[in-house]
Amino acid sequence: MQLARVIGTVVATVKTPGLQGVKLLVIQPLDRHQQPVGSQLVAADAVHMAGPGELVYFVAAREAALAMPDPFVPVDHAIVGIVDAVAPLAGDEIAGDESAGGEP
Amino acid sequence: MKLARVVGTVISTINAPDLDSRSLLLCDLLDPSGRPAGGYLIAVDSVGAGAGETVLLLDEGNSARQVLAAPGAPIRTVIVGIVDEVTGPPGPATSLPARAAGAEAADGQGPGSVRTSRGPGPGSRRGGRASPSGSARGSRREPA
Repeated sequence: MQLARVIGTVVATVKTPGLQGVKLLVIQPLDRHQQPVGSQLVAADAVHMAGPGELVYFVAAREAALAMPDPFVPVDHAIVGIVDAVAPLAGDEIAGDESAGGEP
Repeated sequence: MKLARVVGTVISTINAPDLDSRSLLLCDLLDPSGRPAGGYLIAVDSVGAGAGETVLLLDEGNSARQVLAAPGAPIRTVIVGIVDEVTGPPGPATSLPARAAGAEAADGQGPGSVRTSRGPGPGSRRGGRASPSGSARGSRREPA
């Protein structure tokens, strides 16, 4: 799974039967500093609540179809969660000690 | 499988039902010498990995679902192990992660082995790991 930003929607009236009722969003994959990386994708929205501007995470490949109500649909990227926060785990300064215990 | 370092946690309340109450960790991919290989993955934790630990990532869906006993879950990447040490042929390419380098120098290890423990020596490694893992687990309960 990777982070992405929803940047748009896709409207398609003529779709393969399995995609009826599936919401499609344009996403921009992000690196872990939430900077755009790679090319934009069309992903199915498996949580039914993502919208433009939101930070989400998505799953690719066969697992994307498993996120849909019908697991046999032609979907190769699916949004499976909306991110509330990405909390760093103290990064490099936790070296060699148990300071992670103080993390909120 | 891939080597990675846990660098963060992803907190999410709205997610696919199969991801409910699963902890998601942000993992930087590493090469065998412990340096960032570029890229990252968000993985489901199955072993209680904690901050800064080097872990073993399984990035294949069927195996991931089997490990988690979650058939049909849209999950592909799972943390399946916590790495204590990686050894390989010595050479100039072998470099240590910043924090391990200190321990390495203190231990007087050769360049061929990469130590990923966070304790000062082998004796404290296990104990050192248990504590942050437990607390990290506790801290990740909050989003649920």
